[in-house]
Amino acid sequence: MKPGVWQRLDVIARSTVPAFSVFVLLLIGLLPYSIPKLADVTPALTLMAVFYWSVNRPDLMTGLAAFMLGLIQDLLTGLPLGVSSLVFLLVQAASANQGRFFHNKAFTVMWWGFAIVSGPAFLLQWLFSSALTGALLPFEPLVISYLITAAVFPLVAWLLVRLQNSLLRNL
Amino acid sequence: MAQHGGPQQRIFSPIRTALHRFAFILLIVSCFALMLLGKADTVLIERIRGAAVDLVSPFMNLASRPAASIDDVTNRIESFASLYEENLRLHEENRELLAWQQVARNLTYENSRLRELSHYANPPSQHEVSARVIADMGGAFAHSMMISAGTRDGVLKGQAVLSDEGLIGRVADAGYQASRVLLITDINSRIPVMIESSRDRAFLSGDNTDRPLLTFLTADATVAPGDRVLTSGHGGAFPPGIPVGVVSSVSENAVRVAPLFRRHQVEYLRVVNYGLAGILKDPDALHNMPHLDQGNATSDNNLPTGVGVGPVPAEPDMAEPPTFSSSPAATPDARP
Repeated sequence: MKPGVWQRLDVIARSTVPAFSVFVLLLIGLLPYSIPKLADVTPALTLMAVFYWSVNRPDLMTGLAAFMLGLIQDLLTGLPLGVSSLVFLLVQAASANQGRFFHNKAFTVMWWGFAIVSGPAFLLQWLFSSALTGALLPFEPLVISYLITAAVFPLVAWLLVRLQNSLLRNL
Repeated sequence: MAQHGGPQQRIFSPIRTALHRFAFILLIVSCFALMLLGKADTVLIERIRGAAVDLVSPFMNLASRPAASIDDVTNRIESFASLYEENLRLHEENRELLAWQQVARNLTYENSRLRELSHYANPPSQHEVSARVIADMGGAFAHSMMISAGTRDGVLKGQAVLSDEGLIGRVADAGYQASRVLLITDINSRIPVMIESSRDRAFLSGDNTDRPLLTFLTADATVAPGDRVLTSGHGGAFPPGIPVGVVSSVSENAVRVAPLFRRHQVEYLRVVNYGLAGILKDPDALHNMPHLDQGNATSDNNLPTGVGVGPVPAEPDMAEPPTFSSSPAATPDARP
């Protein structure tokens, strides 16, 4: 008659998959790779995942989750506190509202959607980071980072689709 | 869900959307509150940052190993190929070094005698911790690294972090078992430096590019590309004479410095506590130091380094050149 403790735990565990995947991507992005110049232009893996889940499962990637993930990112990377939270929160709100637009459309539409949403997100991050450090941050790595992020999105999205189909199908 | 709702749904769904909107606004406001809080730079934020670094360090420690071990394998294969030549070269080098050792012993003896004669006060001893790089916070906004040593190993905020080549940055947040290192290229990094040949003072200011700027350079300073840049020891944060970089370009409005380290190749770093009070104004931290020196017998080598001068700002153009000429010897650097 009852769903059972394990079943409920299972549901809870599964519902944290989106947020957890963003966290794991954050850590993967932090790993030291011995590739020259990579550190300057690391793609924003977390931004991709926040966008993907906000579009596809806004019920599981809530505003609060986006806020907390941004906070963790700022704490770990040493960025000014609150900036990533704000960016993730706005991306989450914008994508969750427009999420229905992407349903049953080709993947390219979502790709374009990400490119359009992440542009202002990068700009906002640059603006607030510059304001909080009190100096203009270099713009060029920002542009390169944005282009790489937009280019890598399909790869990350593919992984997240697999994750969604295998773990969140019945949720 | 809400589409086929009865009268109850019709009442509750506007309330729910209102609540959602309220929560959203609340979160936005907290973002700005966080920005203000972070700007205030309180001890609390520092602790939280340290704790966050601590929390993920076990994972990063494990996950960063495969990359390092792949490097290790390729290095091994390479060194097998040149084993014979390497052996010859090392024999040669060993002979040279033994000769140097003799010279060094003579000089040490002579030095100690001279110090006795002039009642010279020894500079503070040096406490050194080696740590592995477990994360590189890349990206367009931050230039910092995570290392696998924290307060447990005697690492404290503000200490100098060196690679084999020279200064790489300073400890920004120290957790219990891991810490974050602010690189000298970060926009928040300011380091008092001097030009090796002319002894002109300046600040090395990062600007998030890989070529930090020399700022506050005096107008009559003579700087040319290729000049070596060393820490000057002003402000007491770092001792003088640690190699920092080489002047890479000089133009009308900017002098840029190429740091000595290559970011993607840095694997192990040394956190050095020279025992200078420096930017560590925290009395607790200062009290901790002698205790650490006694307790940590393994990671501790209390070598008097002869770092030249203590926290007092040195005057190189005054009548005592020996204070400064001895300083490069303290941090062995490969000069051409």
